[in-house]
Amino acid sequence: MGKYILKRCVYIVVVFLIVSFMMYMLYNLIPSDPARAELEPLRKDLKPDEYLMRYEALRAEMGLDDPLIIRYLRWMGLWTDTDGKTFNGLLQGNFGYSNFYKTDVVSTIISPMSNTIFINIFSTIAALGITIPLGIFCAVHKNGKFDQSTQVVTMLGYSIPIYIIALVFMFLFCVVWRIFPVMGMKTAGATYAPGSWEEFTDMLYHIALPVIVMTFGSLGGMTRYVRSAMIEALSMDYIRTARAKGLREKVVIYSHAWRNALLPIITSILGWFLGIFGGSVVIENTFSLSGMGKLYWIGLNNNDFELVLAIQMFYSIVSLVGALLIDISYGLVDPRVRVDK
Amino acid sequence: MKKFLALLMAVAMVLSMTAATAETVTAEKGTVIYGSTTEIGGDFWFTSHWTNGATDMMLRELSSDCSTVVTDQGGALVVNPTVTKDLVMEDHDDGSKTFTITVNEGLVYNNGEAINAKDFIWSTIFACSKAASDLGVKSTASSLIVGGKAYFDGEVPYVSGVRLIDDYTFSVTIEADYLPYFYDLNYASFGAESIKYWLGEGYDVADDGEGAYITGDFTGEALKDHVEKVRFYAGEDRVSAGPYNLVAFDKSALQATLTINKNYNGNFEGVKPSIEKIVVVRAEDATWADAIKTGAFNFYDTITDGTQVNTALDIMEDEATKTALGHGFEYVQFDRPGYGMINFACDFGPTQFLPVRQAIIQLLDRNEFANTFCLGWGGVVNGPYGTALWQFKDSEEWLEKNLNAYTYNPEAAVELLVEDGWVLNAEGGEWTEGIRYKEVTAEEAGTYLHNVTLADGRILMPLIIEWSSSEGNSVSDLLKVMLAESEATKAAGVQINQNVMTFTELLNFYYRDASQGDKYGVPTYGMFNLATNFTPLYDQSYSFTSDPYYVSQGYNLNYLFDDVLDWLSMEMVYGVESTDTQTYLILWQKFIQRWNELMPQVPLYSNVYITMYPDWLENYAQDSFWDFQQAIVYATVAE
Repeated sequence: MGKYILKRCVYIVVVFLIVSFMMYMLYNLIPSDPARAELEPLRKDLKPDEYLMRYEALRAEMGLDDPLIIRYLRWMGLWTDTDGKTFNGLLQGNFGYSNFYKTDVVSTIISPMSNTIFINIFSTIAALGITIPLGIFCAVHKNGKFDQSTQVVTMLGYSIPIYIIALVFMFLFCVVWRIFPVMGMKTAGATYAPGSWEEFTDMLYHIALPVIVMTFGSLGGMTRYVRSAMIEALSMDYIRTARAKGLREKVVIYSHAWRNALLPIITSILGWFLGIFGGSVVIENTFSLSGMGKLYWIGLNNNDFELVLAIQMFYSIVSLVGALLIDISYGLVDPRVRVDK
Repeated sequence: MKKFLALLMAVAMVLSMTAATAETVTAEKGTVIYGSTTEIGGDFWFTSHWTNGATDMMLRELSSDCSTVVTDQGGALVVNPTVTKDLVMEDHDDGSKTFTITVNEGLVYNNGEAINAKDFIWSTIFACSKAASDLGVKSTASSLIVGGKAYFDGEVPYVSGVRLIDDYTFSVTIEADYLPYFYDLNYASFGAESIKYWLGEGYDVADDGEGAYITGDFTGEALKDHVEKVRFYAGEDRVSAGPYNLVAFDKSALQATLTINKNYNGNFEGVKPSIEKIVVVRAEDATWADAIKTGAFNFYDTITDGTQVNTALDIMEDEATKTALGHGFEYVQFDRPGYGMINFACDFGPTQFLPVRQAIIQLLDRNEFANTFCLGWGGVVNGPYGTALWQFKDSEEWLEKNLNAYTYNPEAAVELLVEDGWVLNAEGGEWTEGIRYKEVTAEEAGTYLHNVTLADGRILMPLIIEWSSSEGNSVSDLLKVMLAESEATKAAGVQINQNVMTFTELLNFYYRDASQGDKYGVPTYGMFNLATNFTPLYDQSYSFTSDPYYVSQGYNLNYLFDDVLDWLSMEMVYGVESTDTQTYLILWQKFIQRWNELMPQVPLYSNVYITMYPDWLENYAQDSFWDFQQAIVYATVAE
């Protein structure tokens, strides 16, 4: 097992390097000039000669005139910085500098990341808590009235774009019934002691509707996935055998069918948990939440490629490690699967 | 299943309980909750040394307002008598100019600490320094101030152009290169900031007779940690001298809170604020109306879009909203200090010919365009100005008489084209229908993509204009319908090809920025649709330069090489003393008139903006150059 994990870790490094190279090249294909963007506000106040001198100096300082491959290596920390002496890239812990926020990328990401994790944990747990029992129930009562109704509702939830769901829910819950606030993560002007219960409940109050919308939006896919996996498991011969042995229906469903249905589902479940780190661009923008999705959107809109690249690289790492965890978990869930080769 | 339903009910109850707990916190009368349409970046450094996001700047200005020179309600520069006791200007033989300023005694920060001359000059020395540059500061100070460059380069340990004369007097000398300048009073604008707060303990300003400098370990490395901390910090102990104290910023919720500064010295008219608290929250385009209806915020600044303006007016008339919130809304309207436009490239293709540019303007009903786009909340201008500029206000009658309004007139457009020789077809015969052609010289033809060379050697240029249009742009959509695909345009024998691209790519073509790719360096598009805004310091210098190097670096983005226009644009700011308003205004009018003749741009629409505020707020008078942060100081709460 240890050897297998070590081998996979080496793969992760190789894949990460390939992904980082591809992403860096992709973003640098976008024609933009960060030096020009940075100095543009000074253009009107400087004489042209002075402006142009500064522009050239800034391009040199940013290394924009170097070949793309050198810029990539520098960004990774495998090539010396523009000073020609130090290495100061990703491998040295420098995740870059946000041109929009004018500060280190890491300090820009911390707060949105914690918000996103906080919101997504709630919605993921709520969604799994609803979809798994619902999917099992529908599979066990296949083609019953409840199952058919659920199929219709989940199909609707699956088909309607999340922003439509968000706007409809917002109209109903916020404007008509005035239960939840329209936007934000905190009541405007409210001051709380840091870490207080009041602060926590106020935050819960504000994220309740986004969580409900995200949960509702994700019901369809997982419910149908669980249902089909369970239907397949319930049609197997060993289920007939179990029932023939006189086992209780609960034991048949949860010990025999569910455990066998779990294997395909676990991929999705782990994928969901990994999604905890990734924000929703639509939800966060609609509800004005400061999360990773919104930050990513701001980064893209403002050509803040170091910020966007850092987020991408973070997601790459999470995905690669997640894939390893999924493979290891197969072995834990299903003894027939060996993960040591 | 029953257990599952019970669980769902329990979750719903928990959520309802949190709702009930939190709903008890509501906006009080007297608290302005400001919905911001731009991101709150959280950079609260006292000036735009790093970032210049609109909301961050507003927050800075609400908390820092103790400058020697400020702008008044009309955008004119005025000496601030609350701060400045005396301001003396002295011209030198070498062309440089010294501003000697004495500030009033008794000025204080929000924490009660006294303000003196050092507080006004340290930030200028900082901006000139290598230390600031190492921290990523972008500033013009080292170029502008005598001795700034030598200090930056480390040749001398002081800035010779900045002098600390006594506790309340200092002087600053401006380089001759930047003088005379009509707005030179702006060079004398210095704000008071606490060196102890912004740079930390151990730093001070000294002057040993040759120039002022900052004492202590004044390097980027030594300053880095402290500067990073205070840049993004808001709290009760933040030291500032504005009408409000920036007491909190919740980075997680992107919410800033300001409370009144009891120690504020007053603005340039001695006015102090009475609104106790301002909370700034983020507003989203898609949900702002619901947010304001439910009381998430009660102040929505500078609504620009016609649809949004009409939505705002509907909310104001909605009695149910008024009842639910316990207050109604009022609004103030003001003109945009700029406009949306078509920008022509005047050095190649058909748009190099003045009659073509004038014809295109007359093929578009600009009044109808503005009316449709702004839904009645906008108008049209006929030159590079905004109706809020004092120059416009002082020249309105003159402009009315002397500018061509280029009203919609397809027949006149055709006449212009015919007179200019656009009378041929693709074979060189007489034009009857389709695209018009004109016989051009090899020089005029240039490398224009669509040129046709006939067997007899004649070069014909078709009246095809390639238009660079940014994606997802409603102006482009309307322009396509009302100009590019209109019957009048087709009948006139003009073809306008819309090329949709990202805004970044549009800018590369606009700047002809070959560093981003060879294709961008080649003149490709004859027209671009963009927008521009003017500041009170109206300065068009170098915008029509003929210097090839400057042009290649994006200084003349119309590529219009007209000596008269170039001279006027330079002379009105660099050839006139700041006291000679009369001469300036004459030059300004001539510049506008010449521009109007040559029409390097087509002003399409100039919006009327509105700001929506709660009806308990009185005396709130925002204007084009008088923003929220200035107007709110005068506002009061209705009894």
